[in-house]
Formats: sequence, C-alpha cells, structure tokens
Amino acid sequence: MIVNIESIQKAQPEKSYWRSASQLAGTAKFQEWAHREFPEGASELPEGASRRTLLKFMGATLALAGLTACRRPEEHILPLANGSEDLVPGKPVFYNSVFSLNGISTGVMVETHDGRPTKIEGNPLHPHSLGAASAFAQASILGLYDPDRIAQHTHDGNGVSWDSFVAAVPAAFSGDGAKLRFISQRIGSPTYLRLKAETLAKFPGAKWVEYEAVPVDSAREGARIAFGRPVLVNYDFSKAQAILALDFDFLGLDASTILNMRQWANGRRVRGREDGMNRVYAVESQYSITGAMADHRLRMRASDVMGVLQALAVRLGVLPSAGRAFPASERASKFIEVLAKDLAANKGKSLLAVGPRQPAEVHALALLVNEALGNLGTTVTLLPAPEAVGEIAAIKQLAAELHSGAVETLVALGGNPAYDAPADLKFAEAMAKAKTRIYLGEDRNETAAASNWILQGANYLETWGDGRGFDGTASIQQPMIQPLFDGKSEIEFLATILGAPATRGYALVRDTWKTQLADDKAWRKAVHDGIIAGTATAPVTAAVNKAAVTEAVGHAAGAPGDDEMELVFVPSSHAYDGRFNNNAWLLEAPDPITKITWDNVALLSQATAGKLGLRTDVSQINISDSSYEAEFISIKRNGAELKIPAIVQPGHADNSITLAMGFGRAKTGQVGEGAGFNVFPLRTSDAPAIALGAAVAKTSGSIEIASTQDHGTLTDALRTRSEIVREVTLDEFQKDPHAVQEIAHKVPEFTLYESPKYTSEYQWGMTVDLNACIGCNACLVACQSENNIATVGKEQVLHGREMHWIRLDRYYSGSVEEAELVYQPMACVHCEDAPCENVCPVAATVHGPEGLNEMVYNRCVGTRYCSNNCPYKVRRFNFFNYHDKRLGWMSLGNKAPEIASLQYNPDVTVRMRGIMEKCTYCVQRISHARIQAKTEARSIRDGEVVTACQQTCPTNAITFGNISDPNSAVSKSKALDTDYAVLQELNVKPRTTYLGKLRNPHPELV
Amino acid sequence: MADLAIKPNTQLDLLNTTIDQPLITGEPTYHSITESVSRVVENPPSKFWFGLIAVTASLLLMLQVMLGYLVATGIGVWGNNIPIGWAWDITNFVWWIGIGHAGTLISAILFLLRQRWRTGINRAAEAMTLFAVACAGIYPLFHTGRPWRAIYWLLPYPNTMQIWPNFRSPLEWDVFAVSTYFTVSVLFWFVGLLPDLATIRDRATGWRRKIYGFFSLGWRGSARHWKHYELAYLVLAGLSTPLVLSVHSIVSFDFAVSILPGWHTTIFPPYFVAGAVFSGFGMVLTLLIITRKALGIEHLITLKHIDYMCKVMLAMSMVVGYSYASEYFIAWFSVVDGERFAFYNRITGPYAWAAWTMITCNVIAPIPLWWQAVRKNITAVFIITIFVNIGMWYERFVIIVISLHRDFLPSSWDYFHPTYVDICTFIGTMGLFLTLYLLFIKYVPMIAIAEVKHAVSHDIEKGAHH
Repeated sequence: MIVNIESIQKAQPEKSYWRSASQLAGTAKFQEWAHREFPEGASELPEGASRRTLLKFMGATLALAGLTACRRPEEHILPLANGSEDLVPGKPVFYNSVFSLNGISTGVMVETHDGRPTKIEGNPLHPHSLGAASAFAQASILGLYDPDRIAQHTHDGNGVSWDSFVAAVPAAFSGDGAKLRFISQRIGSPTYLRLKAETLAKFPGAKWVEYEAVPVDSAREGARIAFGRPVLVNYDFSKAQAILALDFDFLGLDASTILNMRQWANGRRVRGREDGMNRVYAVESQYSITGAMADHRLRMRASDVMGVLQALAVRLGVLPSAGRAFPASERASKFIEVLAKDLAANKGKSLLAVGPRQPAEVHALALLVNEALGNLGTTVTLLPAPEAVGEIAAIKQLAAELHSGAVETLVALGGNPAYDAPADLKFAEAMAKAKTRIYLGEDRNETAAASNWILQGANYLETWGDGRGFDGTASIQQPMIQPLFDGKSEIEFLATILGAPATRGYALVRDTWKTQLADDKAWRKAVHDGIIAGTATAPVTAAVNKAAVTEAVGHAAGAPGDDEMELVFVPSSHAYDGRFNNNAWLLEAPDPITKITWDNVALLSQATAGKLGLRTDVSQINISDSSYEAEFISIKRNGAELKIPAIVQPGHADNSITLAMGFGRAKTGQVGEGAGFNVFPLRTSDAPAIALGAAVAKTSGSIEIASTQDHGTLTDALRTRSEIVREVTLDEFQKDPHAVQEIAHKVPEFTLYESPKYTSEYQWGMTVDLNACIGCNACLVACQSENNIATVGKEQVLHGREMHWIRLDRYYSGSVEEAELVYQPMACVHCEDAPCENVCPVAATVHGPEGLNEMVYNRCVGTRYCSNNCPYKVRRFNFFNYHDKRLGWMSLGNKAPEIASLQYNPDVTVRMRGIMEKCTYCVQRISHARIQAKTEARSIRDGEVVTACQQTCPTNAITFGNISDPNSAVSKSKALDTDYAVLQELNVKPRTTYLGKLRNPHPELV
Repeated sequence: MADLAIKPNTQLDLLNTTIDQPLITGEPTYHSITESVSRVVENPPSKFWFGLIAVTASLLLMLQVMLGYLVATGIGVWGNNIPIGWAWDITNFVWWIGIGHAGTLISAILFLLRQRWRTGINRAAEAMTLFAVACAGIYPLFHTGRPWRAIYWLLPYPNTMQIWPNFRSPLEWDVFAVSTYFTVSVLFWFVGLLPDLATIRDRATGWRRKIYGFFSLGWRGSARHWKHYELAYLVLAGLSTPLVLSVHSIVSFDFAVSILPGWHTTIFPPYFVAGAVFSGFGMVLTLLIITRKALGIEHLITLKHIDYMCKVMLAMSMVVGYSYASEYFIAWFSVVDGERFAFYNRITGPYAWAAWTMITCNVIAPIPLWWQAVRKNITAVFIITIFVNIGMWYERFVIIVISLHRDFLPSSWDYFHPTYVDICTFIGTMGLFLTLYLLFIKYVPMIAIAEVKHAVSHDIEKGAHH
C-alpha cells in the first residue's frame, strides 16, 4: 500500500519530526523519494510495456502470491501458519463443483494442490457425470491459467479499477432501460436466472438475449409442434435396443453430458455369449463418433435426413406417404427396410434420436414415430421446459435494434456474438452503434475488442455460482482459488448494476438457495457433494399431436436437388464454437475422426472432391504418413467467400461439406492465433446449421495440415494387420466365443534373456475394451492434465513430435465411401519382457518389481533407442524444452508464461528437453494408494488405484488393477474370451491387453 | 615436384599402362623416394593448399556452430521424430565408421597377408580411418538429448549413484568397440610413422626438428630399433585384425539386436563389415585419386594400387548385393507379416527412391569394374567411387529410416524430412575430415617411406623392376 505522503504532510501538526535533512528541506527529490515505495524503475512498467512484459510481471506476482491466495469460503487470506486439521501439505484436496457448457451443467471434481486447481475430473456423485468428464470439461482448467486472459478491467483501452466501473454504473444503467440490452450465453444457473429476472424487473424496458452458435431452436420448436407446448425431450440410451441417430452425434459433440456414452456403452458390454448388445443405426452427413460406433451407417446429406425419416415413417405406417425425396440407392432402401423391421421388433425399446442441427419438422416427426413405437416414457422422456423465444429470432431483433440506433447500452456477458452471430446480422458492426458497450468475460475476443468497457470475468473455478443439469439437477459451483486477477462473475456484475456492488458471489448463491438449503448443514452437504438432492425435475407425459406434426411435415421445405451442395456447421472437437480457441490441450488433441490438430478443414466425400477437381486418392493426399497437403476450396455464400483447405473424409456424404466452427478468430490468444479458418461468415440466420445455395469451387493454393495419423485404411495392400485391432460380429462371438483370439495364431512364449520374476504382491495390468472405446479424447486430456504433458504446437505436430502418452489409434476398414472405423487407445503397454529396457545404454528404463516399465527421467540421456525398439511406438521424446520455452525464432524460444506452470501436478516430474517419457500407469497414483494402505496396515484394495485415463473414461472402457489377484476386476477382464494382446507374436508380454470389438449388424444387412 | 600444385606434365598415359606394371614406377632410388615424400612436408604450403584448407576449415567452423546450436536448443532442430528416432545422425555415424574400415583392413589384414601393394597407400588409408572415426564419434555423443550427461554416463566408472551402464545395450558395446578401435588405430598408425618421422627430423632444422624429434621418440634406425619396430608392428597388426571384423559387427548389433523388422536380422554383422570395407575402399580411392595427382606422386601410388583396390571393391559390392538379396529372401521365407511388409515397403513405399538409389549405386554402378579397361581408367574409377560413397550412405539411411518410418502399428507411421541443421552438420563433418586430411598430407609423410623402400628393394632383388 502506497502511503499518501502529501495528505499526511498536509495534516502535519505544529510540531514536526524529520528523518533527514533533505526532508526538512523539503527538496523535490526527497518528496519524490518519499512518495515512492520502491526506487525508481522498480515499480513501474518500462515505457511501452508489451503484453508479454505485463504477463511476465503478472506471472512473477502470481508465483509469489498464488499459493497463499486460497481460502474458502471466507474472503480473507489466511496463511496456513497453524495448519488446518484436514489439510496435509503435499496431499491434494478434491472439491466438487460444476462445469457448464451451453447452459447445461455437469458435475466435476477438482483436484487442488496447496490451493491451486490442477486437474478436473467428473464428480462421481453427480448423476450426469458418474466420475467421468469430457475433454472439454477437463481442459477448461487451462482457461484459468490462460496467460492471454483479460487480466485488467479497461475502459476505452485504459486500465481502470472495478470501482471506477461501479462509479459509472448509475449513468449507464438508468431509467427503465428502454435502451438497454443484454446478450449472454445460455443460462442454466438458478442464481444467474434469479438476478436476470431481478435486472429485467428493475429495467422493464430492457431486453435480454441468450445466444450460442450451437443450435437449440429447432429441437425446442420440434417438441412444441409435437406436444403443443414447450417440453424438453430427453433420451435414455440405456433402455434402447435399437437406436437410430438422425444426424445426431450423441456420443460426441452433440451430447450435453457424458451420460449418453455411459448408457450406450452399458448396453453393449458383452462378457459372455449370453449377453446381448444394442444396435445403433446412424444417418448422417459428416463422419461422427456416433457414426463410427454405429452398427449400420447411412451417409446422407443432412438435408436428406428428413427424406429418410419420412420413408421410414411411411414404412412404419406412421405417415401415409412420403412427401420428400432423397437420393435413392439400393443401400438406402435396404437400410430403411431393415431399420423399420428392427425398430418395429423392439417396440418400447427402440429410439429415434435427432440431432440439434436438424429442422424442427424432423424433431417433430421423430417424436411422432417414437410415440408410435411406444418409446415415449421408456427411452424418450419428456421434461417440463420454460417458454423460450428462438435464439436466432432474438439475436436478429437485437441486431436490428442496434443497427437502428435504438440501443444505447449493450451488455455482453460472456459469449462472443461479434464472432459467432449469424453473419447477415453484421453484429460487430451493429455493436459499434451502441454508445456504451460493456463486455464481461475472460477471453480477449472479438466482442471484447468491439466494447469500450472490458471487464475481466472470473473463471468458474474462481467464483461462486450454481448450475443445473439437463434434467434440472442443481449443483453449487464453488471456487477453488481466489480470482487470480480481479475477475468478476456474471452474477456479481448483475448484483452491481442492481445496486449492491459489494455483494460477493457467495452471498448471491447462498441467497438463491436460502429456502431449499435453509440450514448450513444442508448447504455444506450440497457444496460438498456437488449436487443438491431432489432437484431433478419430474418427467411429464404428453401426447404427440399427430395432425400438427403431419401438417408441419407437409409444410417443410422441399428437398434440395440431388446435386445441390450443402454446408453443415458443426461444433469443433478442438474449439467447440470458438470458446476453447485458446486452449492448447484441445487444439492439440487430435480430432477423433480426422486426427487433425490445430486446424479446421472442410470435410467432403471422395466423389465430391472429384467433382470439385480436388485430389481424390486418399493415399496421395498424404505428404507423409501423418500430414496432409490440403488444397484450398472457395465457398461463396451470403456475399462472403471462405477459402478453406478441403480433405477427403472417408464415409462422408456426397454433396455435403462439413465445416467446423470456432477457428480463424481475429482476436484471440497466442494459442489460437492463426489457427484454422473462420466459417461463420457463411452462416446466416436463415440457415444457422445446414445451409444450401453455396457456390463451391477449387481455388489455388494448398496448406500443410498437421495430423497425428494417416488417412489410410487397413485394407491397403499388405497393411492388413487384422490381428492388431480385432473385431468380430456379435453373432460370430456367440457361435464361437474364442473368435477374437482365433484371429491370430498364438505364438509360444520364448525369450533369450531370462524373464524377470514378478513375485511382488501387486502386479499391475490393464485391459482396454475396444467394444466400449468411442475415441472421445477424454482419456487423452486426462492424461495430459495428470502427467504434465506438454503441448508442442502445429509445427511440431507436423514434424511428428506430439507428446500425448495415450493416443487413440483410428483405423478405417472397407471402402473409402463406406468406411468403417475402429479405435484403439494405445499407451505404454508395460511389456514384461520390454524391448526398450535392454537397449538403453544407461539403464534409464527398467522394470519395477510390480511389473511397471519405469522411466527414470533423471538418468535418461536421450539416445531414443528405446523408442526405436518399441513396437507400439508409445514413447515420446522431448525434442525441445517444450515446458519451459515457447518455440520462437530459430527454435530458441522465449520463456513460457509462468502462470501456465500453476496447473502442473506436483506429483509428477516436469520433464526437460532431451529425455524420453511415456505412460507410467499413473505410478504416482499407485504410490498414493500404497502409502494409504500402509498407514492403514492393509493391502491395496481392488479399484483403489485408478489411472487418470480409466477414471475419466465415459464408457468405462479401461480396467486397471492387480493381475496377481484372481478376483480383481482386471483379472476377470483378462480372463474373458475376447481378451488379446496386440503384437502377441513379438513375445514381449504386454501388461495391457485388449478386449476385441464386437459389432452387432442386423443379419439382413450383413 | 614437391609443390602441391598439379603438375601438368605428370599426366600418365593411362590407356597404355599395362596392369602388371610394378608397384613403383619410374627409376626410384632410396634417395628419390625420400625426396619425393619428404619434400611435400618440407616445402612451404602452396596457395592452393591454403585455399583448400580455408574452405574445409570454414566447413569445420560450420560444424561447430551447428553442434553449438543443437546443444543450445534440442534435437528438434534436426528432422528426427517419433517413430524416426534416428535418422541422419546414426546414418552418418555408421557411414563414417564404415569409411574408416579401409585403413585398418589395408594396414592390418593386408600386412599379415603380405600384400606388398599396400605400402603406397596404407599410411593415407590409416589416417583416413582415424579422421573418419573422429567424425563418426561426434554423432553418438551429439545425437543424445543430453550430451552433457551422455559424455560420461555411458562409461563404467564408480559413482555415487551406484549404477553401472547397461551392459546389455548395443549402444554400450559401441562405446567400447569404437573407442578400442580408435585407440588401436592411433597406435598402429603412430608406430608405423616412427621411422618416417625420424627421416623428416633428420632433414629438418630449428623448431621443426624439435617437434619431429619429439614425435619420433628417439628413433635412430639401429638394427635393434628395427627389430623391435617390426615386432611391434606385427603385434599391432594382429590386434587390429579382429577389430576390422568386430567394430562394424558391433555397430550392426545396434540394429540386429532390436526387434524392428528391417533391423532384426542375423546377416547384419558380415553384411555390415563387407559394406564398411566397400565404402572404406570407395572413399580411400576417391581421395587418393585426387591426392596422387595433386602431390605428383603417381609413381608411388600407381595404377596397380588402384587396380587392386577396385578388385576389392568389386568383391565387396557383390557381397553387399548378395546381402540385399538375402534379406529379401529371408523376409519372404519367414512368412512373418511384419518382416515381409518392411521389405515390401522398402522398395515400394514412400522411400522407394532411397532404396533404389542404394541398389543402383552399390550393386549396379560397380559392375563395370569387371573390365580391366575401366579399372585402369582413372576418371571412370573416380566416378564409380563417388557412386559407392553415395550408395553406402544410402544403405545406412535405408536401413535406419525406412525401417523406422513404418513399423508395426500403422497409426504411428510417419516420414522424415531433414532440416538444414541435419545437412549442415553432415557437411561440417566432411569439413572436419578434409581439414584433418589436408593437415595430414602437409605435415606428416603421407607415404610410408621405409616400407616403400622395402618394396623397391624387393623389386630390385627380384629383377622385376623393368
């Protein structure tokens, strides 16, 4: 605190004391010296401080201050001088909270080390998480430590304090708010909604728009058509035997929680020949995870899904006649015929699920078919929903008001409408017409750039809040750390404009729940559990209005011509809708299907590529086995032109182009800068998801796209390695339970060196169920988070130097047109006779007594011989000091922002350059369990050691444990008939084995 | 004559020279031999020599800059990746080690086999061995991620960590094999030099006399000295002989001991030794063809030497060609998918160009050496040796990079692109090699004076001399 010397001097009493002669003399130099706390140059930034310099200072400050900044829920900094009873230094503490995406919250459990959140896992108590967390939820922790976060409130570019904003509130928020508009992301939080209502009550003339680029309107509208009132349609995949996904990636990016994946996987877990499996049919344009997992997949333009559904409805006798055509083929008609049969045979146990991009009529008709199949109330449940205006309509109106100059104050709470609003609204331009533009958020994005008040938002890990799951299940969001900067949450912002600027988030949230969680005990339990019991809304029943649906279907837009090109805007597995654009983990996580990192590309089919004059030979596109030289195409629509590289996606529908949102941001951080291409200029309010009428042509130029894997199919000449990923049909398995193991001849075990004796009590081993793995990247991000794995950037991925310890190998089979896909998670398999060990000249990789192949980082000199000799190629080498440096000119690099290191897991060594690393089976977790067991004088229990990948797997594909205990889950899993070792013929005796994939094709479609 | 500039009138009429001409041409006397060799050392360096060493020393400087840059940043400045953990680094290492082989072979084995024709070329070939091993030695150290640790952690020494190096690792065997080879080669070369250094000493004055005097270890040429010298030389030749076979066998274990298809083959030790001799003779020929002309010593290194060396090269080319064929046969015969794929991919995959370059250079290019006319045609021989040098570099590249780039799991397959640092480092090692070679031919008698005199005396006794 700088003492104001002047005011002290002014108030000096008659008799004054002096400390030096110059003080007495009152020289200017002394005055200055006294005024300054630190010597000149030490306390101010150098002239023209760059953002980087600023970050450096902030990083240093944080490193000093961050550790002591944690407190909960009191708002004081308490040094742990006396220690607190439950807090053991070095031992992580876990707190439950919620992560929200699209206004839907899922429970998370946050691991904190000495007050620093380091890792996000799913909250096992939360019904929509069950311990698992999506890649997005886990990677969101990087947002907290994002060096590019808005770290200062600014007004017209000048740094200001929160107080000066508070002082400006009365001027900006006055009267009835007729010229006041709010725009925010979708809101699920009860406190936020409460304050929103209070705000709108205080300013009755104001309007509030909720908008996100990932669509929700048509599903809501479809349900309204079908039931005559707003209801929320909820699917239960666990009860379904025959599932039809209509342009719905319910296992991937269209899922609101990981619950779908868990339910789907539970319906496919085959342990013996008596177990059955659900059967999934998918109709889609893009190749999604759901399509990859489907037993039957029909590639169709997204605009033709309606035609397929109508044909199905006719066949099921729900519609009298199909009014809509779709590109007919023998494959399609056979598919529909068998599908109809299968659905009809599974009445009440079937399910038609429609994706959010599909028009309302498709949703309505699917509900009608679901009702006819008796699925309402079983696999399809209805939840009450509030009356909601269409998001697109609302933002359209807001843009019109802005353009007309009717809006004086625009408040953007989070989100990024200047980037992701429909292009025809020219939202950024419209924003400029409002006199006061307030943006509250964490990202230095386009909307912030278009605002004159930029208020730094608090990360959800820093602030109190609450949220609701898709079925209304409420949770309290609790902070793990004092806001790293002076960030404010949306609710604190609203409290401020409501005239209570001092109210902190805690009081606001507590206030919301004062009746339901009246006593502190209940409140504390809710905070602790991360879930408020009994808040799920009860399902309602309703009947589908067949006439309304039939009428709506009749009025639906006609089918596009067979050769008309459509554009489909989908969320990106990296950036989602753009919000994770500066998240290095997500940008580097290979897309589940394409395995592309750091970019979005236009995906199209081989035939469409041929039509556009692009290279079509999938293998020729590869400039190497892992990167592509992608040619540019030009897409013109809505007066805008997008030049974007195009890549042939096996299995993609013809005449359809899939465009992933969220890239090509004009204003973003260092990570997202220059990554990908902005597809939003092509997206208009009349066609926010599926757009027709685009002019597509090949254009000049090409670009290198960094992918971690090649495009080839397994059936290429001599690449047939069917013994690597083994799949059989359920039918084959039931006829011969050893079908998976019989795919390859088992080689007798033989070794030149004597095998190590594994006599220790614990022998760790793992199984990975290929039948459950959906390749969703959750394990990859979990591993990255747990094990301090560096990201390397696009250029290094192009060089083949990505560091992920676990990779999701993706193999296609079949033709390029109708490619099937299978995933194989691959990390160090901990061979008992490990080929890496005997070649290391310095014994840096050795075998532990418990069967772990251990990597001694300190001993490694980096010959890379171990990696060369690893048949699974799971070892990763630090070609540069990835953690310490941001690679720059001449690879010399700059010091990485120190803030990033706050995320590191202190239990795991941060590796320097020049050394090898790989999966350790989360040895730090094994150690934790061992210490715990020893203190309690017992053995480690089965299930006590949970690896990071296993912990977060939404489908429970990974089992880990002690294989020397015949009753452990992993031993039982290894005893299954589908268990096999990859590359068994090498006799390296891997500890990780795989359970073969089973497909469940309909006998009539085989 | 002793000037390093090429003398125009020393051009030999190549086509008219018969193959059974003697090893030493002209009318040599003991004195004239001493004169021709010593004058190279005694005359001040020519501008041409300075010009050459300026170029090679610049390349050497570039090597130092590249290695400094590598250590300052990381292995990432090379093109290596996962799965291609080794690429140009180990390719260059094996290539340089291979080049060294001619020296030892000529010195030791040909000495034991009493092949007198080795006398004119053994000194230069031995020097090349040393310089090539010095170049090779750079890579095992600098290819590691942490050379500041690797430099002593690979040595078995008592330490506070109480840990030995891993004696099962072929890389550890390399440390012993290469260092032994280097030590024995240095000793062998130096012992052979003693009488000649003394000759130079006796002719020199001032500080030169002191330096050569120091290195000639008090050689006086007494019968006793000669007796001990001959014995020591024989013993060292005996010690070196197994090294010719062992060094490259052990280098080949780096690959043969692994489980990677394309590396995991039992034919590697003989195959690598043959390849090493092949490439060593290729490089020795390349350099001697230039040197003999530049120094005007065509009468000491004659067409007969070149002819013999061509024959060795031809034989080795066939061994190498046979090894290639055998690899493919075994891969097919094994009925192992991975093995078959590795070799199928080698000649048809993305790196097929490299594999075919190797086969062209190593198997096809030497075929003309069957004809005597070609062996006597210096230009033709020179061109073939260049092919061999390139081909043998590609052989190592093919074995290392092609095998690594596509191995067991197709998901990990990738491609290797060298960076400018890879390329400049390699060129820089050539700078090191040539700088040392230029210093050698200027300051050390590059032809074994004593041995040549011995050979001449044989010729005189047999009356074979004209």
